[in-house]
Amino acid sequence: MSTACPALSLPADLPVLTDAHATPRTRLRRLVGDFGMGVIVSSWAALLIALIEGRPQDLYQEMVYSMSTGVVAFLVIAGARLVLDGPIVGRRWLALAPVLLAAAPIANIGGMTLGARILGVAAPSLSSYLRVQRLSMMLFTLLAIACVTLLVVNRERIERIKRKHAEAQARAEAIERQALQARLRLLQAQIEPHMLFNTLANLQGLIALDPQQAGVMLEQLIAFLRATLSVSRLESTTLAEEFAAIEAYLGLMAVRMGARLSYRCTLPPALRAARLPTMLLQPLVENAIIHGLEPHVDGGEVVIEAALDAGRLAITIADTGLGLPDAADPPAVRRKGGGGVGLSTTRERLRALYGDRAGVELVAGRPQGALARLVLPLDLDPNLDANLETA
Amino acid sequence: MNTHPNPARAMRALIAEDEPILAATLAHMLRKLWPELEIAATAPNGIAAVEQALTLRPDVLFLDIKMPGRSGMEAAEELAERWDGAHPFPQVVFVTAYDDYAVQAFEHAALDYVLKPVGEARLARTIGRLRAQLERAGDEAGVDDGGDAGMARLVEQMRALLAPAAASNAVATAAAAPARLDTIRAAVGNTVRMIPVQEVLYFQALDKYVNVAGIEGDALIRLSLKDLLAQLDPAQFCQISRSSIVNLRHVASASRDDFGKLQLALRGRSEPLKVSPLFAHLFRQM
Repeated sequence: MSTACPALSLPADLPVLTDAHATPRTRLRRLVGDFGMGVIVSSWAALLIALIEGRPQDLYQEMVYSMSTGVVAFLVIAGARLVLDGPIVGRRWLALAPVLLAAAPIANIGGMTLGARILGVAAPSLSSYLRVQRLSMMLFTLLAIACVTLLVVNRERIERIKRKHAEAQARAEAIERQALQARLRLLQAQIEPHMLFNTLANLQGLIALDPQQAGVMLEQLIAFLRATLSVSRLESTTLAEEFAAIEAYLGLMAVRMGARLSYRCTLPPALRAARLPTMLLQPLVENAIIHGLEPHVDGGEVVIEAALDAGRLAITIADTGLGLPDAADPPAVRRKGGGGVGLSTTRERLRALYGDRAGVELVAGRPQGALARLVLPLDLDPNLDANLETA
Repeated sequence: MNTHPNPARAMRALIAEDEPILAATLAHMLRKLWPELEIAATAPNGIAAVEQALTLRPDVLFLDIKMPGRSGMEAAEELAERWDGAHPFPQVVFVTAYDDYAVQAFEHAALDYVLKPVGEARLARTIGRLRAQLERAGDEAGVDDGGDAGMARLVEQMRALLAPAAASNAVATAAAAPARLDTIRAAVGNTVRMIPVQEVLYFQALDKYVNVAGIEGDALIRLSLKDLLAQLDPAQFCQISRSSIVNLRHVASASRDDFGKLQLALRGRSEPLKVSPLFAHLFRQM
């Protein structure tokens, strides 16, 4: 996925959940956990042996032997699992059976030898291990390490199930978010029939009155329709493209409104490649015209500016029209519709896309009119950026 | 006393349209399809449309529905209120861009309207009807004081257009059950005067305020006439023009002035209240 909007590309914002290649850190944590469990089981084994043999005063010695055995067993099995690589899935734990069978005598003999060394006594000779007592101890060791291994495997399985569940949930949420995005985008891309038919009526008139201007207007209509209709297919666009679409729209409106509308769009070259969701600005510009300037007898000016603000992209849409509803004014003199559907939809989209990292506000303009201010994370398209530099 | 349209005099039209190219286009088509018609002026907004119509007194008025200042409907309403009854009211044709709801409503009220973009065939039909009506009005003018025939027709149509909206409003307000206003709280200087609605003679919308004319004097409130109307008992209060609501209990009589305009006399007040032609039917004798 090379989509520029980070939150729109589905896998990018999901945590890395593939367990086949767990990061070194999580693998180390797993080993520490396994070791801890080995220590607990070894302690229990030592206590058990001391009690069975009826010599609680030997608990310390049994503990040393048991721990030594546990450490050796742990090393052998951990080593074997490193070689086997990967988590124990399905019946793969069967592969561990021969490892356990081999690990038991090694752990028992190694543990006894290590323990004797620590306690400063003579280690039993290898031949003494053939006695029934020693062999039963070996069997006990096998039981203990099988027990630990089962616990570990089981714990890993539970973890894996939990992780799968979380992954599925995150995916479902991402899909839901995308569906919401698509719905909001379509909502914002709707062309008002009133606007379309009024534009066509102007074109019809111009064809008879001024064919040359009719041609210019038709071109603007085509650019506007192309930008608006392609929105349902695209998730993001560049500021340069969005500004071109806005200028096409304002061009149409300027022909229609004549001297009542003037406009200015300022886009610094460095921000031309900034990516943003499609149809984010258009509804705010339409609001400025429809609620601000069109119903204003004298018309006015709309100014659209993009700028960098503390590393973020700040876009303002200011009009000198009717202004915002003043709570003190009776509805008759208020700007009808206020922020309108455009503003709330824009706010909803920004929240779904960026959370707290973006926002939009509508405030009273100075000295009159309204000002919409939009702030969102700066995301420069690297391809376009490179093109700009070579150009 | 009527200066009825002289058949020899050229018919004059006023076009009210905020988009200059559309105004020029309509003028262009009218010149082609109705060469005898003189385009007296074009008005760029609803306010100018009313003023120019009052000064120029055109025979035909093309009113765009969506205009700054006043909508086409509001302009027609205001014009009907302010029209001097001595002259025939213009034939009004509404012009609108595609809008399902409005068009259905126009059909229902049998209003003259044309759609933008304006088709020549449709405009030619409208012109045919306009000419027939103007001729008839010219003929009747000699016999009758038929100057108001055009206005009566328009008023009838607009009433039909507004009635369903008013009815649905009434249903909506009944459903929402707005709190009935018992007392008007109006600020007068530093004090808030409490005026029982029974003591209000009428409400009159001023620029940004509504004047409350009470038995004990006037006071201003900041509330729209529409919001106010929704909170008043419809059996007691009724709208009589775009800018006023009257308390029926304080109305002494209704009479026509020299120009045939209806006006109300109130008990305890000397100033008469004008009734818009749109609401004149509320004060006919039983």
